Formats: sequence, structure tokens, C-alpha cells
Amino acid sequence: MDIFNVSASALEAQRMRMNTVASNMANAQSTKTEAGGPYVKKEVAFSSMQINPGKSDGLVGVKVDGVVADRKPPLIIYDPGHPDADENGNVSMPNINVMEEMVNMMMALRAYEANVKAFNMSKGMYQKALEIGR
Amino acid sequence: MDKEMSVLHRIIQSANMRQKVIASNIANADTPGYKAKDVAFGNILENKIKMTTTDAGHVKGQNKNGISAEITVNNDPSWGDRNNVLLNSEMAKMTENSLSHDAAVKLLNSKIRMFRSAIRTK
Repeated sequence: MDIFNVSASALEAQRMRMNTVASNMANAQSTKTEAGGPYVKKEVAFSSMQINPGKSDGLVGVKVDGVVADRKPPLIIYDPGHPDADENGNVSMPNINVMEEMVNMMMALRAYEANVKAFNMSKGMYQKALEIGR
Repeated sequence: MDKEMSVLHRIIQSANMRQKVIASNIANADTPGYKAKDVAFGNILENKIKMTTTDAGHVKGQNKNGISAEITVNNDPSWGDRNNVLLNSEMAKMTENSLSHDAAVKLLNSKIRMFRSAIRTK
């Protein structure tokens, strides 16, 4: 039944990706954070992992290696009326492209759906096998 | 019990194995560096069937040690993240695999029904 762990690990990973996309979109205009400075775009890093280490049974799940911060510098815009503007009237804005986030969100959604489908198909196969000889 | 049943058993086993590999491919559709995999099981099945009929003097081997199918790695070119999983073709493969599994289960069931009615007949 380890096959369900494969699909479940991927569902978990895609949900994590969806969470980071949602955070990025929500904070596309946040100029102040607890860590100081504007919000920095986050991204998830995936890697594959053997479900049963040492066995070559073809079961490869996904692991979220971590949520990493984007390395792009913040966008500087001129807005002297902004409460977070410096003495020259410049404000550091998060370097977030909402279109890019939307695309990322759709990809996460499609991947999630594909894994739900895989999960259900595996379940269907096991159910059919249970019917043998009835 | 009989040859067809062990062939059906093998088909079901192969389908199970292939499902595992395809589910892993779909799970890793976004993992950088992951390469799509598949099971070369059609050929192996053929080889095993051929093996039983090479010589009239051979003992007909009932190869019951299951599927020794080989997992093959696809080395097609990939996008920038060195991942070459094509989600659409994996979905298609999975549907096909599930259908062949269901067909084998159905055949096995009718086989069992035949045995059952043979036992019942007076």
C-alpha cells in the first residue's frame, strides 16, 4: 500500500507550494516585515525521495526540502508620501510578479489534481483486486 | 492451477508495478532533476511465454517467481529543470494501465466462475 504514500507526499508538497504562492500574492505590497525590510518572495524546493530506502521497487515520493527566499533585490519605487519611504522618498517594495504567481498557482493546482487522480486510480485497482473470486 | 490463470496473475502483478512507477512519475512532475521511469513489462511477458515453447524436450517451466520487470529510465530531453516528466502522457499511461489491470481481473473472475460452475455441475 506504499503507493498511496507516493501520491500523498506529492499532495503535501503541492499544498505547500500553494501556501507559499498564496503568501507571496497576499504580501505583494507588504513593505514591512518582522525581520525588517520588505517581504521577500518565497519558493519551495522539491526533491525526490525513496519511499522504501534501499529497495528498487520504483516507489519515489516527493520531499519538500524547504521554503527558500528569492534572491532578487527589492523593487525601489519613488513614493514620498509612503510611511516607509526613506529620506529620498524611495520605498523598497517586494519583488513579486503577480502574473508569475498566478501561473505557479495554476501549475500547483493541476499537479495536485493529477495526484488526486493517481491516488484514486490506485485505489480503484486495489478495490478491483479485492473483488477477485467474488 | 492452469496456465491462463498464471498469465493473468502476471498481468495483474505487472500492472501493479507499473502503477507504482507511473504514480511516482506524476508525484515528481515538478521535482528538479527527476527523470521519468517506466517498466519494460510487455517484452518480459513475451519472453516468458516464448521460453516455454523453445524445444519439445524442455520441461515446461511454470515460472512462478513473479515479475522480474525492469525499471527503465527515460532520457528524453527535458526543460530547464532537468525534469522530463510529461504529465499528459503519464495520465494516459495510467489510464491504460488501470484498464489492462481491470481487464485481467475481469478475465480472472470469469475463469473462477467457470471453475465454480464446473464444480457445481452434477
